[in-house]
Amino acid sequence: MRLSFDRYNPLRPDEQPFVGFDNYVFVLQDPLFWESFWQALVWTGWSTVLQALIGVGMALLLHQPLRGMNAFRGLLLFPYIVPTVVIALNWRWLFNAEIGIINHLLLSAGIIDDRIAWLSTPNMAMGSAILLNVWKYTPFVVIVVLARLQTIPTELYDAAKVDGAGALRRFRDITLPQLAEVLAVVIVFRTIWTFNKFEEIYLLTRGGPGTSTYNLALYAFDQSIANLRMGVGAAAGVIMLLLLLAGSVLYIRVSGFGREDKSA
Amino acid sequence: MRPWVAAILYAVLGAITFVVCFPLLWAISTSLKPKDEIFRWPPTLIPENVTFESYRQLLFGSGVASAPGAGTPPSDFFLQWFANSVIVSVGSTAISITVATLAAYSLTRFRFWGQRAVPYVAILGYMVPSVIFVFPMFLTMVALDLTDTLLSLILGYVCITLPFCLWLMWAFFRGVPIEIEEAALVDGASRLQVFRQIVLPVAMPGIIAASIFSLIVSWNDYLFGRVFMNSMENLPLTVGVMHFFDGTHVDWGLMMASSVLMTLPMAILFGFMQRHLVAGFGAGAVKG
Repeated sequence: MRLSFDRYNPLRPDEQPFVGFDNYVFVLQDPLFWESFWQALVWTGWSTVLQALIGVGMALLLHQPLRGMNAFRGLLLFPYIVPTVVIALNWRWLFNAEIGIINHLLLSAGIIDDRIAWLSTPNMAMGSAILLNVWKYTPFVVIVVLARLQTIPTELYDAAKVDGAGALRRFRDITLPQLAEVLAVVIVFRTIWTFNKFEEIYLLTRGGPGTSTYNLALYAFDQSIANLRMGVGAAAGVIMLLLLLAGSVLYIRVSGFGREDKSA
Repeated sequence: MRPWVAAILYAVLGAITFVVCFPLLWAISTSLKPKDEIFRWPPTLIPENVTFESYRQLLFGSGVASAPGAGTPPSDFFLQWFANSVIVSVGSTAISITVATLAAYSLTRFRFWGQRAVPYVAILGYMVPSVIFVFPMFLTMVALDLTDTLLSLILGYVCITLPFCLWLMWAFFRGVPIEIEEAALVDGASRLQVFRQIVLPVAMPGIIAASIFSLIVSWNDYLFGRVFMNSMENLPLTVGVMHFFDGTHVDWGLMMASSVLMTLPMAILFGFMQRHLVAGFGAGAVKG
């Protein structure tokens, strides 16, 4: 079953005429493909950076030895298991332009003067989608970073304290280098997966308004389903696969470098 | 730690937790409001009149189904969809776990050609986003005449979850020492006895972690259900609920009530299994 997609993927079902690289040419000449590509970069970049920053911050906070920390951990990891459909529904409701709570809160706090049409203006829609992604997947970063934090020997901190290093200094010179490797891996993973995300965007905005929140996954899906150009969709899929492969190579190199650092 | 530092940390934690949980709290609040209060401006944070009307409508039908020519409202399918989702996620999890456990066991205990490559190929396959292989799989389902059946969904989810379960179980079995099994074999136990009485109990934590992931993935999936299924009564919950948007007027109370009901099984599972879940996260990458 798994193998079947490899054989099918290049140029679609057996009976159909062989068209050589026509599908690829079509994809690469399609302005919508390139629009999707750039939007995917924006979407991935912001999502990953925010997830990494917030994730590390939250992990550091959750690492503090406080009573009741387990309860906080449980609650903060919770978004990860919430179905994407549910989050998309909730988001549409929260960001509803007329009666959404977000607009209400911002209005009554005096931050904005007028209701923002979150999901129907291009930039805002992308922002909302990114926010959804960050909300759902930051826990992933937190879990991984937290696991790594717990393996940093406390002797390092004690020694630094004795030497008179302040909290900031200790963070910069001990915590960050120790986290660097795992962080690199997490970021590569998140980048690869976010880049090809489909459900989050599709369920929230259907790629709209217009095509302003398309990414490559939506492009491939739409070409296949709405336009019934399975070949074109598959070609886009193969291009995604190649990008993914490039990402994986990067990942292997990054983790490879990490290993060298450790032994050095 | 000095008390005022702890107090600040608690305050920050509390604030973050509130922000993180807010969408879900708001969903619960909305689902308990009567229709007129949902659309009131400014919105009320806590429902003034608590009503379970939305839940009643989902669980016991809307009562307008009998109107001639009106067609069945989507909300009347809710229980059916819920059952579909349960069947599909439990079914695919059972298959994935069985195959993955047996495969991982043989990968670590027997020698054969290609043995080392299998788990790595599996994890590579797992990295591929499903939007790439959903259409080729759909064509396969058409060829097998399986479209619009729950079986097609089960097979689809097995394809997503099996590689990861295999990887996880493989990593797990590698860490289990082989000596006890050898001793039992010397004592005259059969391979199957060894597997049932020694290997399975030891492997339980791994099996539990893998099952939870598999359940979450298949319960939460939208894409496969969207592509494979046509008829209303066969949809999984995730795809079905999106049909609530079809009408001209969106019933947010209904929508939020179904969100809550949809999250509930996973939340319960998560509550009970949190420890194992974290162990699983440590064992390998998690798709998302």
